[in-house]
Amino acid sequence: MSTATVLPRKEKASTLVEVCSVRLAETWFGVPITHILEIVGSARPQPVPLAPAYVGGLVHYRGDVLTTVSLRQLLGLPANDGAQAILVLESVAGCFGLLVDAVGEVLTVSSSDHEPNPSILDQRRKSLFAGAYKLKDKLLVMLDPEQLDPLRLA
Amino acid sequence: MDELTREFLIESQEGLDRMERCLTDLEARPQDAALLGEIFRSVHTIKGTTGFLGFKRLEKLAHAGENLLGLLRDGKLTADRSLITGLLQLLDGLRSILKFIETEASEGEGEDTALIERLEELQTPARFPSGQDQPIGTQAKAKHPVGTRTGAPSASAPSVTPSPLPALSPPVAPKPRQAPPEQVLVTPVAEAIPAPAAQSAVADSETDVSRPRAQATGAAAGTAAESTLRVDVVLLNRMMNLVGELVLTRNQVLQATASDPNMTLLSRRLDMVTADLRENVMKARMQPVSNIFSKMPRIVRDLSQSLGRRVRLQVEGQDTELDKSLLEAIKDPLTHAVRNSLDHGIEPPEIRQAAGKDPEGTLKLRASHEGSHVIIEVSDDGAGIAVEKVRLKAIERGVIAPERAAQLGERELLQLIFLPGFSTAASVTNVSGRGVGMDVVRTNVEKIGGKVEIDSRAGRGTTLRLRIPLTLAIIPALIVRSVNQSFALPQGALSELVHIPPEQAGKAIEWIEAAPLYRLRGKLLPLVFLDRLLMPSGEHKSASERDSFIAVLDVDGRRYGLVVDGLADPEEIVVKPLSAVLKSIGLYSGATVLGNADLALILDPGAIAVKAGVAMIADQDAAGSAAGENDSNAVSGMEYLLVEAAGRRAAVPLADVLRIEQIPLSRIEYIGYRPVLNFEGQLMPIEDSSGVLAAAEATPSTQADREEKIIVVVCREGNRHVGIAVSQVLDVAAGGDLFEAGTSQRTGGVTLLHDRVTGVVTLAGVQPLPAGENAHEEWNQMAETAS
Repeated sequence: MSTATVLPRKEKASTLVEVCSVRLAETWFGVPITHILEIVGSARPQPVPLAPAYVGGLVHYRGDVLTTVSLRQLLGLPANDGAQAILVLESVAGCFGLLVDAVGEVLTVSSSDHEPNPSILDQRRKSLFAGAYKLKDKLLVMLDPEQLDPLRLA
Repeated sequence: MDELTREFLIESQEGLDRMERCLTDLEARPQDAALLGEIFRSVHTIKGTTGFLGFKRLEKLAHAGENLLGLLRDGKLTADRSLITGLLQLLDGLRSILKFIETEASEGEGEDTALIERLEELQTPARFPSGQDQPIGTQAKAKHPVGTRTGAPSASAPSVTPSPLPALSPPVAPKPRQAPPEQVLVTPVAEAIPAPAAQSAVADSETDVSRPRAQATGAAAGTAAESTLRVDVVLLNRMMNLVGELVLTRNQVLQATASDPNMTLLSRRLDMVTADLRENVMKARMQPVSNIFSKMPRIVRDLSQSLGRRVRLQVEGQDTELDKSLLEAIKDPLTHAVRNSLDHGIEPPEIRQAAGKDPEGTLKLRASHEGSHVIIEVSDDGAGIAVEKVRLKAIERGVIAPERAAQLGERELLQLIFLPGFSTAASVTNVSGRGVGMDVVRTNVEKIGGKVEIDSRAGRGTTLRLRIPLTLAIIPALIVRSVNQSFALPQGALSELVHIPPEQAGKAIEWIEAAPLYRLRGKLLPLVFLDRLLMPSGEHKSASERDSFIAVLDVDGRRYGLVVDGLADPEEIVVKPLSAVLKSIGLYSGATVLGNADLALILDPGAIAVKAGVAMIADQDAAGSAAGENDSNAVSGMEYLLVEAAGRRAAVPLADVLRIEQIPLSRIEYIGYRPVLNFEGQLMPIEDSSGVLAAAEATPSTQADREEKIIVVVCREGNRHVGIAVSQVLDVAAGGDLFEAGTSQRTGGVTLLHDRVTGVVTLAGVQPLPAGENAHEEWNQMAETAS
């Protein structure tokens, strides 16, 4: 932070943000990499009977048992039978896993391309999404890791 | 908080704990110089260091106490009851300030003048009507008219505050660090009970006396300090967690490499190192029970005074060790039990005398090891529990129906006191009797996987026995299958397993409306189907379409059968906490990783019972069936598996039994003369001292005979598993103690089962299988002896 005070800041500086892109069905979403602890490829979470529907199951992660959140379920998509990738995200209470279909590449986007959530989104999506980045060929919908915390969803 | 303050807090707390112990001892031995020296040093150390750290309030209080203690140590005062009470108040005062510093990092605004005045008052020998100390005190006063720090100011003028003496503090302050309080015992006795002539030297300059002491103990202190180290509990927890992780990884490695001969040696080595490491990390978390026992003398003292009882406290097995977290968990239940004993158990002296007992009651605290459990007993020789009163109370409180109460035996009635809202105290006292008693004790102990047992004789006393597992983090569990998933069922709650083949299901499971029941040895056992509980909306196969297993569970005084689809091996599982969202489902107490790398949820038998609506009152049936009908005199309550082998009855401690297997004779193999069973790649020795196996082998064998099944009771002996060949399993029953005629000593190796003296199988006697360097030779020898 000390450098920030020394260097003259450009007004309305467009800062660069690194975003990890994840795919769900045909849509690409972005998660700021600052929130990601680790990406675990093909895992089969153990289902938990009687758990809330958005809980995707449990996975073993570095000596702990991690609760996962199924993004498909949250967005009302049919369940995916194949193996899924897990983003391990940090939250206030510890960490949790986010189940997605696939993990893409890490993109560097400029904050000047960011726009807030459009008003026509439904309430649920509005709370989960944090705006979108306008890329050249598509929109990258940002997920809000804070809102995906299973404790928040409960 | 800086390192120095933290260090100071820990040291002071330890010092005060020691002081508390010494104070209660001092009451019995008021002249004990070593005790006085120790107490003095605890307070002195605090005072010295506080001056240095700038805690003025603490310093002032400690200083007042030190003055009083100085007089005591020099023999100018005698420690009588009111003085000890004063010192205990000082202790509490110091503790509360320390606590404040710990939480708020400052001393707080509290006012200690009243306490300080009280301490000064106690310094006046005049309050003794005729103490032998008085002349000594006056003598000292005469010798030092000009304010030497201990005797003079207070003796001549009780109202003088100790504060005008700060000049004397600095030279004293750094000293106590050199003399660790642990080293008290070396203190020369002569110094603490000085002849009047030596008084001036002692009173004049403390430093002179302490210095040689510090030197003398220096060597011993050095070695003690070098060989021990303070470790943060958080770090230990983390280590335990990692070791748990290693255990899981090892399990997986063992399973993965079982078929690869090259890896076997390496994985064996990994296995051994892991086991060793786990044991040692666990040891590091162990603390002697004296840590909580040492709080009891104070509680007993305060309570017996306020209740007007005379009580002698006996403590046994102080060095028995228990995991730190468990120790914390049983502190409250134990305190509660001690309070109960004093309030409801031990009678006032007059009543005891009238009953022909020693007016002084005895309260015994005893800790001991029993297998993988630690037993903590609180026993008193008081009035005992009047079972009739319990019966009446239970009916009055509506805990039990009158007609049901009439059927209950003494043992079963005693169990009623563990039900919530039950208290037999005639009046509510501030000590106990508010009806939140024994059920809280039981809940707390069961929460950590322990058990509470009670035994009471009217007029003779009551014994409360807490059975605590050695450690929390790793527990034995049975892996069960339901809804196509594995679940772990803690073995602490499991009492037996019943297999129901599909063709018998129709008859074996009976229904009252929608409630399934099973007739277990003549008593109805409520059943809970795990699949229906976990997937209320799903489709379920009925019991007649597949094998069912009933796990009979005893928990929180509820007894029920959990019906599962399949059983796998018992496993030592490492408990992993669940996230809050999943915890709130209320059926799982955690999760674990199995040997095959699968995750399994750990079922919480208590919560399942509640969810399924199994009532607490089933408890009496539990006590009844477990105890059997004919052993009302069973004291030890150890449960045994009663087996028959070659026409003789024998008992196997139920706690050691892992499972009972039926195995075709053809699967038993022999290495030399030793029968062994190759069980899923693991070799298990079979004990056949009764000759069941030999007899079966001796009969002329056709292939059909070889397929005949024999019964093997698989037991845990230390870390290994051994099998015992038997002809028949008869029953599960509680064993009664037997005493040798004449000596009345408890006899070992036999127990009373169903009124018959029965030998107990000693599992430790089963020879271990050869291992290590000389294994080859041993196997060869065995082969030779056989041929």
